Amino acid sequence: MNEVYLAGRGLASALGPDVAGALAALAQGGVPPRRFELADGSAWPLYAMADDEPDWPTRTRHITQRVAAESSALAGPRSGPLFVASSSLDIGWLEQSHDFNRDYQQFAETVASWLDWRGPVFTVSTACTSALNAVLSARTLIRNGQADHALVLGMELRNRVTVGGFGGMQLLSATGALPFGQARNGLVLGEAVAALHLSSTPSRWRVAGGANVVDGRDPAGTVPSAVIAMCEQALANSGLQASDITLIKPQAAGGVGSDATEAQALREVFATLPPLVSFKASIGHTLGASGAAELALLTACLDGGVWPHIGYAQDPSLNATLSQQAPQRALHVLASILGFGGGHTAVVLEDREA
Amino acid sequence: MNGWRTLAHVVVDPLPADWREQLATRLGQRPRRIGPWAELALYGARLCLDEAQETALPAGAQLRVASLNGPVSATRAVAEQAGVGLPLPFSFMQSQPSQLLAALSQHLGWQGDARFTLCRDPQAVLRLAQAECGPGGLLIGWVEDGRRSEWWRLAPPPP
Repeated sequence: MNEVYLAGRGLASALGPDVAGALAALAQGGVPPRRFELADGSAWPLYAMADDEPDWPTRTRHITQRVAAESSALAGPRSGPLFVASSSLDIGWLEQSHDFNRDYQQFAETVASWLDWRGPVFTVSTACTSALNAVLSARTLIRNGQADHALVLGMELRNRVTVGGFGGMQLLSATGALPFGQARNGLVLGEAVAALHLSSTPSRWRVAGGANVVDGRDPAGTVPSAVIAMCEQALANSGLQASDITLIKPQAAGGVGSDATEAQALREVFATLPPLVSFKASIGHTLGASGAAELALLTACLDGGVWPHIGYAQDPSLNATLSQQAPQRALHVLASILGFGGGHTAVVLEDREA
Repeated sequence: MNGWRTLAHVVVDPLPADWREQLATRLGQRPRRIGPWAELALYGARLCLDEAQETALPAGAQLRVASLNGPVSATRAVAEQAGVGLPLPFSFMQSQPSQLLAALSQHLGWQGDARFTLCRDPQAVLRLAQAECGPGGLLIGWVEDGRRSEWWRLAPPPP
């Protein structure tokens, strides 16, 4: 079996057009969300990218090409598998074109053509867990020797359906994202395009393992036994014990019930909770892109010694406090995303320089 | 992939006129709040497990679903709703492939690794699923909204 490493990363988000811009913005305390207006005149906070190009495919192409190039994936042969992971795919494009004859795979193939990508192209759409599931699939193919590199693109771009859909389900906050916060009252969505270039060539971050657990008993929420199963399976798959984990990036989306459920389940797995970090108050919940976007940001923060500022009161009843500063050493990091549709997915990273 | 055994293979194409009634009878209830695409997936998956003589999908098995058109009718409906106002919650949920996975999990009495993964080449979808699969085997389906539902229950070669 080959080991799998993070060869490069790229990220465009509300924090900036690239990773360096994101770290600089985080170091300055972050950026506020914009307002996104819907057809009925209602408006919601949204961590939107500062790119006002009105044409959806033109904007998406520019951003995607820049982010993929930043990940270093375009400097190589481009012959490995490409995974396009998204919840909304090209619905923003369909809203402009009204061309509903495009099939589900056409967006990923269009992205591949933008990148002149020559390897097999996969679409992964498991709602919020899409990008982490894509990482797990890419890892499998590299470990088995079926590929020596892969590119995971997490893509979630502006559209009315997603914001309106979550708004209609009364899952959004009208005020702000407060992960694990005392006054948390819902999600704030975000846009992101994130690229994770995975390779069998050793580098600092090793993808040690992971797990995906779907439980449909609560199609819009978090199931405690599934969070526990996800953690236990991810640890077993990585050859680790709970006590080996030195940092957790939970879902922590800011939902009243879901944050509490997640925190309680984590406390059942981890006798002493390691430091926790969340990026939802920095880039919003970027849904299908979130796994890749938050891994890109997390590893960049640990590499660069930058940490998200927490400018709100945390909820003491959760007994799960977000860390105010980067841990001195984060050898094994568990990063999870819990999703709409009963998805619970985690990836474990190992810092080989810790 | 060499050594895999097909425990069951079901193709529903064309759809019987009464397939929804058949599904409700088999489940003992009419599935609620799921869209027609998820319902069709459930119909085919349930038939496939029945052919494999499995009342529930075993723990440790993996579930994969692919579709070139996805929940197309729900997607069109929710986009039209969003063009004039807030989409209806159930329309929005039914437009998400993940809701199909949740429905299958719920009605097959199973918690585990389920994903919607698509490639233009169905063999590439199958090869990836087999590479990711553990000893519990695989339930994999290709479902096209309003048209067909094809499922395989596959067992990996012995270790």
